[in-house]
Amino acid sequence: MDLQKNITDATTEIFETMIMVDIIAGDPITEKINNFKCSVSGVIGLAGSCKGMLAIHLPDKVAMSITGSFLGMDVTEVDDDVTDAIGELANMVAGNIKMILDEAGNNVTVSIPSCVHGEEYTMDTVSDSQRVVIPFNIDSGQFLVELQIKN
Amino acid sequence: MGKRILVIDDSSTMRKIVSRSLRQAGLEFDEILEASDGQEALNLLENEKVDLILSDINMPNMDGIEFLRQKKELDAIKDIPVVMITTEGGADIIGEAKSLGAAGSVKKPFKPDTINEVLGDLI
Repeated sequence: MDLQKNITDATTEIFETMIMVDIIAGDPITEKINNFKCSVSGVIGLAGSCKGMLAIHLPDKVAMSITGSFLGMDVTEVDDDVTDAIGELANMVAGNIKMILDEAGNNVTVSIPSCVHGEEYTMDTVSDSQRVVIPFNIDSGQFLVELQIKN
Repeated sequence: MGKRILVIDDSSTMRKIVSRSLRQAGLEFDEILEASDGQEALNLLENEKVDLILSDINMPNMDGIEFLRQKKELDAIKDIPVVMITTEGGADIIGEAKSLGAAGSVKKPFKPDTINEVLGDLI
């Protein structure tokens, strides 16, 4: 299973069909990144035969830009619209990954989206998990999509 | 009374996007109502008449599958067509929804054209 390709394809499809923003995927990031400043993280938990989480980490500026494109309106602060939009973005990527995992013989359930936002926060990783982090670039900046799973 | 569509989704973002896509799809309807989960939708349907329902599956409180199960038992609303709009496009969950009466499904992400194709004959 090529998780890097699956994350890239799922994220790109969402941006092309529903956000209408050009997006370019970068090479996977191997170093550990778990500290975020002035950012928003949308998180979906994975349970069942594969456990872990899918998260999207975006600087505030990028999160506001994506929400504005998503909803077709100007967004000037990280408010409930932004956290809801980023949670839904994570939900759509996670739904796609769940389908791929299930087609490979797993039985995965996904949680309701949750969202973290703050001036500085740290997100701990799932121990002993397979971890893939893909950076994506759009006009307003870069964001990360992170998948951690273990069987 | 003109035609009315009920959109059920816990995400306010997705409710707005579905509403916008319905308008962009060129479908003929007069009003969109919203509910944030299955229970809120059942409560709303006690007093409001709608012609079509679009529902998410994975929601807190009451999910889309339980909504279908309870709606099926209520004579006043059991015949209103429901289309599931969900990130969970797997055959199992869609099959379960259809066995409970869902008229179709749209997988997120979607384009307005997809909405038009699926809903065109239902409204």
